[in-house]
Amino acid sequence: MIDLDQRYKEKKSFFNRLIIVYSFFGIAFAFFLYRTYSIQVSEYTEYETAALENKTKEVLVQPIRGIIYDRSGKIIVNNVPTYDLIIKPSQIKNIDSFLSDLSLIIDLNSNELDYVKENFDLKASYNRELVVKKNLSEIETAKFEVRSYKFPHAFIDVRYSRYNNYPKLFSHAIGYVGGVSNDELTNILSNQNLQQIETIFKYSNGFQIGKTGIENTYDNLLRGKFGKKTYEVDARGRLLDEMQFIKPIDGKNIFTTLDIDAQKVAYDQMDNRRGAVVAIEIDTGSIVTYLSTPSFSTNAISNGISSSAFNALIKDNNKPFFDRASQGRYSPASTIKPAIGLFGLENNIIDWNFTIDDPGYFILPEDQRVYRGWREGGHGKVNLNKAIIVSSNTFFFSLAYQSDIYKLIDYLSKFGFGANVCVDCFNPDKGLLPTPEWKINNLNFGWFKGDTVNLGVGQGYLSTTPLQLAYYSSILANMGKSNKLSFVYDKNEKKNTYIQSENISNLDWKKLHHSMIGVIESPIGTAKRLQELKKFTVAAKSGTVELVSTETKEDYKIIRENEGNRDHAIIIAFGPMPNPKYAVSVVIENGESGGSVAGPVAIAVLNSLIDR
Amino acid sequence: MRKKLEFKNFSIYFDQYLFISITLVSVMGLFFLYSASQGNLNTVIKQSIYVGFGLVIMLILSQPDPDFYKIFSSLFLLIAISLMFATMIFGKEINGAKRWLNLGFFTLQTSELIKIALPIFLASYLYNKKLPISLRHTLQTLLLICFIFYLVYSQPDLGTGLVVFMAGIYILFLAGLSWKFILTSFGFIILSTPFIWNSFLEPFQRQRILTFINPSNDPYGSAWNITQSKIAIGSGGMSGKGYLDGSQANLNFLPEAETDFIFAVIAEEFGFLGICILLSFFFFILLRCIYLAFNARDRFCRLTIGGLSLIFASTLFINIGMVVGIMPVVGMPMPFISKGGSSLLSFYIAFGIIISMATHKKLMQK
Repeated sequence: MIDLDQRYKEKKSFFNRLIIVYSFFGIAFAFFLYRTYSIQVSEYTEYETAALENKTKEVLVQPIRGIIYDRSGKIIVNNVPTYDLIIKPSQIKNIDSFLSDLSLIIDLNSNELDYVKENFDLKASYNRELVVKKNLSEIETAKFEVRSYKFPHAFIDVRYSRYNNYPKLFSHAIGYVGGVSNDELTNILSNQNLQQIETIFKYSNGFQIGKTGIENTYDNLLRGKFGKKTYEVDARGRLLDEMQFIKPIDGKNIFTTLDIDAQKVAYDQMDNRRGAVVAIEIDTGSIVTYLSTPSFSTNAISNGISSSAFNALIKDNNKPFFDRASQGRYSPASTIKPAIGLFGLENNIIDWNFTIDDPGYFILPEDQRVYRGWREGGHGKVNLNKAIIVSSNTFFFSLAYQSDIYKLIDYLSKFGFGANVCVDCFNPDKGLLPTPEWKINNLNFGWFKGDTVNLGVGQGYLSTTPLQLAYYSSILANMGKSNKLSFVYDKNEKKNTYIQSENISNLDWKKLHHSMIGVIESPIGTAKRLQELKKFTVAAKSGTVELVSTETKEDYKIIRENEGNRDHAIIIAFGPMPNPKYAVSVVIENGESGGSVAGPVAIAVLNSLIDR
Repeated sequence: MRKKLEFKNFSIYFDQYLFISITLVSVMGLFFLYSASQGNLNTVIKQSIYVGFGLVIMLILSQPDPDFYKIFSSLFLLIAISLMFATMIFGKEINGAKRWLNLGFFTLQTSELIKIALPIFLASYLYNKKLPISLRHTLQTLLLICFIFYLVYSQPDLGTGLVVFMAGIYILFLAGLSWKFILTSFGFIILSTPFIWNSFLEPFQRQRILTFINPSNDPYGSAWNITQSKIAIGSGGMSGKGYLDGSQANLNFLPEAETDFIFAVIAEEFGFLGICILLSFFFFILLRCIYLAFNARDRFCRLTIGGLSLIFASTLFINIGMVVGIMPVVGMPMPFISKGGSSLLSFYIAFGIIISMATHKKLMQK
């Protein structure tokens, strides 16, 4: 029996204690509610984003690369479709019976069967597609399409390959595409604010980037923009619905100024000799021919080449990968003479009537050193006109001797020597326009008067690329007007610049053209053998690049036993005269004679370009 | 106040407030479960059967006089303990835990029964003890509590073990545990915490606690649950994404969505407003329990109502605290909502007994 006092005490204590415990819970639940509020309302955006990121998966869609055309609208580089058979593993219940049904129509070899069986479960669980057979033949495609109703979960999809229709003609001009490095890819995608994620490829080779040539310089335009598919995914990463599809923007087609026919003529003429041919449309500075030989097949490089074949290309002594047109350095030799002559006229050192006696050599007054011409006994009385036609070294030695080296260098630089003359060439070399400062810094020798004299005949330190020579040729043809060279003609970009001159008139230019025509037309011209090849009047200047300095013809005969010691043959030419449209430069390594070896190539290219 | 439904020849003991609110919460729970199970009708039908059965059990258990429970409380406890031992021997092992006894028609989680039986027994043991409870009785009670806690803990089931432990402590506290003893043991617990940490907790339990303290440690490891749960709750916003439209649950990002983390599903689909409405039902149930405890006919009834309702509150507390990332992850279902037979039934049983305690008046007070 509990007494009332005790009962009251007990009841009160119970109430107090119950209130204490429930107060604790009250506070706790209030705190939980506050917590829920702060997650749901205050930090809502953050968690909403997180939930969205959880359930969405973005997949990139590769754009198709632009097509590259020649100047007449013929396709040079195209995307060639190949047809792949693709299945949706998540929809197929029994892969073995599926494959046995399929193999009645399409032959599947054991590699293909193994590949499918190995990857089937994984692709099914993530709801991805699986390529069963690549590169179906037309017959296989037709066979499948007719019976496709039997295979609702299989389909044929197009994958492209980059294909050059003239793989050996444009190895260096167009270049090739290849795999993308991680850094490059990150960079490309970050320009579109994208990240490297799973991608639906349009090319069987996956990501590609232009490695050389136009494929490289115009990569940004050719590539296009990646599209994006957004899928809903579950926690296992399985693709559910497609939520959004931003279509890829295919790359822009590039209409080049290249001329397939002339390129082919140049290629045939070069006949795999080491050298380069560059031809320019004078009015616009457009490059119409751009060839470096020997060349290689860009298709093989782009779409897979065996490593032995690749190694053979790399080890080839003729260096087929080397782009001689814009990276080969050659002395301009006698082709520089028209520019030196113009310099003499501009600075009133000579005029057209100025005459010297050419004994076949020039003696430098300072040290009595002898500088020889190419013809023993010399050319007799020589003025500028004759000096160009017969390529008199003595005339230009003595002209250079009277020149101020800084003025001369400055003048030569106006013709593009020592500079990049092309807007969109791949890695062009600037050549070398030597200055006294360059010599002391690099060779640790001061500038001698003899160096200036050598410059007068394009020998010595001066070196140029065939591209620069073509540019120079086009300026001569265009009477001092110049346009930067390019593979793609853009009206807005092209602005004619003129070589500022005080003392050179149109008449002087015409006389110069006349002299250069004489190089071919005159019976004493250095390239008179071209008379029978040309179909139009052509102005030219040939050159022969001495690789080994020899005193006499007999000495040269000895050193020429080694092919690598033979002189380079070089020529610049433009025509048809008197209103030239195209300028060309040709270099043939160890070709020996500019006029008779390089000359026919130049004439053939000009004939092809002009004779339409 | 009506406490029973009177019929011609007999009367049914019944508390309409608790009955209606529990029924409503249970029915809402079925809808939530439908969404959390991604529209799995089988799960929902099975759960509806439990709910219907549970409501009937609740009604039946409301009928006996509290004295029935008082008299048979030791028998109930003995049965519950025997079932625990049976589980140890014949139990079904799932994921390394032996918690379930297969009864053929029903897989019983026996710890859910002991969760009810222990507080009732303690109430019947302590209801006539003088205030404050003597040290001897306190220690006897504590010994029993610890023994039963250990039985549950060793299954292993830390979550339920803690609830069982707390249930015992609530009764002891409400019955008048001396403050001196409380303060002394607090000091003792604080001093022995490092020892418990090192030798009592399993490595995975330690990991859970560490993860809970710093969830950013491994977002795809042990903290995955908490991270995904918070994303689900947070992305629900004020008014939710709409019924069946919660991506976290429907696309499987939220683990244990049907059971422990169903609160996150509700928060995602119904937002803060939905949570407030749901919690207000629970608060109403708890407030009603406090009211009933205050008005109970004697000390045994008071203790039982207080203890059982506090089990309910604790379960809710642990579950929500875990889901919103305030407490470590210990498996704990949400009462009346989460999928699962035993825990669901145990709360119908508890509330049936609470109603019995609250509705029966003594005819003669001496």
